[in-house]
Parts: sequence; C-alpha cells; structure tokens
Amino acid sequence: MARKRKPEKVDVCIIGAGASGATAAKVLTENGINVVALERGPWRKKESFGGDELANVNRYNLWPDPILNPRTYRESETEEPREELFCPVPQMVGGGTVHWQGWLPRFTESDFRLRTIAGEVQGTTLVDWPISYEDLEPYYTKVEWAFGVSGKAGANKYESPRSKGYPCPPMPTTRYAQKFHEGCNELGYNSFPTPMAALSQPYNGRPATALSAFAQQHGDPTGTRSSALSVWVPDALATGRYDLRPDCYVHEITVDEHGRAKSAVYQDADGDFVEQEADVFMLGCGAVESARLLLLSQSGRFPNGLANGSDLVGRNATFHEYSAVVGVFDEPIHAWAGGGYVAASSFEFYEHDDSRGFVGGAHIAAAGVGIPLPINWSLPDRPAWGAEAKRMDRDSYDHSFAVGMVLHDMPQHDNRVELDDQVKDAWSLPVARITLRTHPNDLAQGRWVIDHNAEILEAAGAKKTYRVYPERVTGNCSHQHSTTRMGDNPDTSVLNKYCQAHEVDNLFVVDGGPFPTATGANPTLTIMANAWRVADHVVRQRGTSTVTTASGKEA
Amino acid sequence: MNEHEKAAGEHLFFDEHQWVTIEAAMSRIIPTDDQPGAKEAGTIAFLDRYLSGIDFVYAKPDGSDFEQLEGKRAEAWQQRIDILGEKYVEGIEALDRRSRAQFDADFARLTAEQQDQILAKMERPAQQTDLEEAQATMAFAPVEPAMQQTNAEIDLDFFPLLALHTRQGFYADPIYGGNKDQVGWKLIGFDGPASLAETHAGRHTTLSYFAEEQIDWGKEDSRGA
Repeated sequence: MARKRKPEKVDVCIIGAGASGATAAKVLTENGINVVALERGPWRKKESFGGDELANVNRYNLWPDPILNPRTYRESETEEPREELFCPVPQMVGGGTVHWQGWLPRFTESDFRLRTIAGEVQGTTLVDWPISYEDLEPYYTKVEWAFGVSGKAGANKYESPRSKGYPCPPMPTTRYAQKFHEGCNELGYNSFPTPMAALSQPYNGRPATALSAFAQQHGDPTGTRSSALSVWVPDALATGRYDLRPDCYVHEITVDEHGRAKSAVYQDADGDFVEQEADVFMLGCGAVESARLLLLSQSGRFPNGLANGSDLVGRNATFHEYSAVVGVFDEPIHAWAGGGYVAASSFEFYEHDDSRGFVGGAHIAAAGVGIPLPINWSLPDRPAWGAEAKRMDRDSYDHSFAVGMVLHDMPQHDNRVELDDQVKDAWSLPVARITLRTHPNDLAQGRWVIDHNAEILEAAGAKKTYRVYPERVTGNCSHQHSTTRMGDNPDTSVLNKYCQAHEVDNLFVVDGGPFPTATGANPTLTIMANAWRVADHVVRQRGTSTVTTASGKEA
Repeated sequence: MNEHEKAAGEHLFFDEHQWVTIEAAMSRIIPTDDQPGAKEAGTIAFLDRYLSGIDFVYAKPDGSDFEQLEGKRAEAWQQRIDILGEKYVEGIEALDRRSRAQFDADFARLTAEQQDQILAKMERPAQQTDLEEAQATMAFAPVEPAMQQTNAEIDLDFFPLLALHTRQGFYADPIYGGNKDQVGWKLIGFDGPASLAETHAGRHTTLSYFAEEQIDWGKEDSRGA
C-alpha cells in the first residue's frame, strides 16, 4: 500500500456523500466553492438497483455486510460487548436515502425547547437546542422544494408555521393509509398524508415516482424517488465544482501546528493512502461513523480524538426505536402496495403532555408489517415452520398492516459510541462500540403510544391486534443522533450552533450528530435542512456570492 | 437454456442423500396441502445453488445474469457461504443421528409425523437430554427478526437457518431457483412482477392495489402559506 501523490488542496472537504454531506455539497458548490467529497462506499448508479427482496433486504446488497463492517453493542460498560449490526445505514453515495421510502415530517417548535417545556428528567441530559424552529424554517422550505416532497400543508394540525406549502400534492391513497385515517376519525384524532421523498406528479424535470412494491429497503432503478443520489449529487455535479470520490475510506483527520484540521487521510479503491488538504472539513458520515472518525483522529493536541477535549464526542447517543401494533383485517389491505410506506400519519401523540406520565412523544404512521414483502413479512405469533405458519401467511399476509411509532429516546451521558478495543473492520480499524441502556421514560412512552396505536387499529375494524412494545432501544430504524451535540457552552457540547467544533474552528459536523435531542420524528428532513443552514454559514464566512442554482431555484 | 437455468437442474452442493434429506425437511417447513408447498416451489434447488459458491448471491437487477463479486465483498461472501455449508453438512448428520436414535431410520425415510417430531426437537434444544447433541446445537436461537432489520445470517444455527432458507426459496424472485411459477407469491396474494426486468424498466406498478377513493385531506390552511 503506497502513499499516492498528494492531490491539490481544496476549499472544502466533505467526508460522506449521503443525506447530509450531499446537501452541503450542493449548497457549497452552487455558491462557487470547490468541494472534494470522500465517500467510503461505492457510487452506484440507478441501473444497479432492482426489485429483489432477497438481495436487498436479506443479503446485504445495500445494507453493510456485518463481516466487513461489524459493530459491537453492550448495555453497560461492565458488560462484554457482542458483535451486532447496531443501527446500520447503507454506506455508499446517497447513504440511507438510497434505500428508504423517505418519511419527511418537520420537527415542531417545541422540539427545540423540550427541556424548558418538560423540565429536568432524572438520569437524562435533556437540553434545549441552541437554535429554534424559526432558524430552520427557511431551510425546511428550501429542502422540500429542491428535493420534491409530496405532502399537504396544514393537514397536520400540530404542524408549526410554514412559509410555503409542499411542492407536490400528497401521494395517492393506499388502503392502509385509508384504514388508519378512518380509525383516527373514529377517535377524533387528526391525521395527515405522510410527507414523502417521492413525486406524486412530475416535478423539476423529473417524472412522477413509480409505485413499485420494491421500495422500502430497495434502491430505485427508475430514479424517480427523491434521494441524495437522485437530487443533491446531480445538482452538485452540474456545477463542475464537486469532485466526488467513491470507495475512499477516511482513516483520520490530521491537525496542523495550530490545532486546526489539516487533511483527511484516506485509503482509496486500490488500497493506497492519499492525503487531501482543505480549508474546511465537514463530517457527514452519520452520527455513529462521524463520532468514530473523530475518535480515530488522535494527535498530540487531541489525544482522545479530534475536538474531544470535553470527552463528549460519542456521548448522549440517541437512536429512536421503531415499534408497532399490527392489525389483521377481514378485508384485503394490500399493505405491500407502493412498498408499504406510502403512508398516513398523526402527530396526536407527538407533543409533550405531562398528564401522560412521560416526557416527549412520537410520530405515528400506518405502514406495512416490517418489510411487507413475502420473505420478510411476519406476525408476532407466527411459528417458524409447519402448517400453521403456512396458514398465517396465506390468510394474513394481504390482510394486515401496522401502526408504527418513532420512539423519542432520551439522551443519557453514558449512552455512547466509542472505539472497540477488540473488534476491527475489514480495513483493520477499530469498529464503533455502542454502549446503551434504555431509559425508563423510553419504555413508558413506548407502552403508552403502542396502547393508543392499538385503539386506532381497533377503531378501524381490525379483528385482531398485536401490540409490540419496545423492550430496549435496538437501533432498528437506522436513525442516529446526538453524538456531537451542538450548544452554546463548550463544556456541555461539542459544536456551536453552526455545528462548528468549539475546539477546531474549521471543522463542522452536518449529520444527525449535532442534534441535542432525538425528537419523535424521522430525522432526515431536519438533517438536510440543518446541513443547508450550516453550508450557508460557511458560504457567508467565505464571502462568496451565490452563482447558479439547479433544483433549488424554486426555493 | 442459458447457464443458470442449466445449473438449476444439477446438484451443485448437496450429494444425493443430503439433497433428499433437506428436501424432506423443507417439505415439513412449508408443507403441501391443497396448495403448493416447498417441494413444488423447488426450495431445495434454491438452497443448493446458494451454498454452491458465490456465483448466485445477487441476480443482476435486470435479471439477465448473476453478479460477479470482487474484492472484499467476494471474500466476505466466500467466508459466509463456507460457514453456512458447514452448518448444513453437520445439521444433516444431526437429523439422521436423531432419526436413527428415535426411529431407527434416516430422516428422509421417516413418516411426516416422525419428521415433525425430529424437527420440533431440533427447534427446541432445551428438551434434549443427550449432552453431546445439546452442545452441538445449544446456540439454536429463536428467529425473531426486529421489525425493520434482518438477522446476521451466520449467527443462526441449523434449524433456524433451514426455516429461513426455506422461506426465502419459497418467496424470493424465481430467478434464484425457487418460487417456481411464483407459487409462493400466488399463495399469499402478492401480485409480483413477471420478472426482475419489469421492475428494473419501471413497468411494475402496484397502483391497482391502492384505495379506490382518494382521501380528501382538506384545503391548505394558514400554516400552508
């Protein structure tokens, strides 16, 4: 493994080309800034994706292969960690947005000041955000209009004020959305069409989204779903200022004699090491891998990892948890239609309410059961084999759907991402070790929401319901946040409110890591809006004026 | 007949005895009743191909052939397939050992009821008394995938693997050698595409399975600007 000739220094080097890194790249390059993006995974084109449940859901075609990219998990530091694919996200250009169906709700005003609203919660590090909903609102609008989000402004009565509606009307109604809507109406609950990363009609020169059954956890061979791969990457490339290098795995960010970030040292597809210098570095590897990269970047100046003088890098990690009530109906539901996640939602249980006996709340939505495709569909009491298993497949596969929840798990000081001292990945680097104990508030919230989701299914006419209570946070929905929290105080946060490291002024983190709390909603819209906000800040700092815009022109 | 169709008719991994043993076990996992089961779907051919090496891991997304794996990905898959193959070879021996101990014949020669008894014990090793066998099978874990994520396949032991692979062979796209004539999909009412090429070309749509009437979500209100 040789060290290749050093490439030219660049304005900004972004590590990662997923939801956050590609958003930042679009904004920076469209404002005249040259960007090198180092993405550890491949750059797969739409032609490489297919409607193949076995490959995509079961055989790691898109998920990280646990033999190459393991992680370890333990509940507390006295426990022996075990290898577990905790909270995986596809590692490739486009990241998790390559295989998602993309539920894109906004957070609400109260999400940014839950500590003020709910008070102290024993055993947690619950804090307000250093920014408000108003700070993000313009960027929510920019992302929704550049990305092409289908939804209905005002349909969610708990939604915070918006400056503009959605660019596309809601997606067509699925039977599972319809049933959910009926159940909510019966109980007097508000429901709304889940805002989605899909096009209900042609938009910005892109055709309407194909309604394939192979969508959730599948790449999109038609390129008609909205993703970092189908929107941000082409926008950034169109500027001619985006040097996107796939299969380039950054091992370390080095620092100069002033303690500023100097270069990214990466291993390329040939296995050779390359050093890329830049004025500014942005990390968008996802909250687990960004924390891991900072911890791997040890130097005399930062012996415990870059920007980690506070020992807070990796701490306060939050992951959400997806849990659901499954309902079985007499009539066909076809919950595989559209891939199972062309959904309807409710924020009825979202806002904090003291009378419920727990802090926080959850976005709930109708969806297929798990991945509602033939191999991976199941019911909680379905046997693994035999005549009864076959009967349940035959009778219930086409007659069931779930009302799922996004659990708002509480931040805790000892829930953290560290480097494992035993297990290494296929590139000989220590893997991320997750230490995580589930807080009693999380369990109480899960129990309450699941019980109420069951009532919705019953009101919708389910003949049988299964309540799957979350028993611990397992990382099963791939959401990850809070490992590099932003805040005003360097003693209690890693980044300032512009997501700039308190200790290293040319280093930014733009994924979910900066989120001080998890909230109870799907994070990617906010990740992208925040990345846009941070990129805007970098543009302003550099004093470069706006040049062209591609998909952002309507914002 | 192209290369992978030809391959589907041959024994690529199992010998004849292993083949009939696993085929018999699969027929109890998804039994044939008035509708097709694992046997009619050809799940044994699906598994035999999977275990034969790394030539059948991923179909090309347009269904024209299979992907050739390279580099670290190929190494990881070779490692995985080797581990799985070993589990099957040992698992088949365990099936026969138990069958001979209890019924004095190899597994494939037992009645369906006898086979079910053997499989039920394989599924629940806690009931075992034979220490050696208990050690050989003690890691049998119940298969309860989280609702959004798949298991790490090589962490499973023989019986849960067999159940998983039978299910995969019954319901995966027919290009992998099972789900013959889409019998699995037809059984449960999944109206899947005629081929991978349909989805790849964007011709596959589920719109006819959406609701007949659209929900009226109302007018945009003041929050909608």
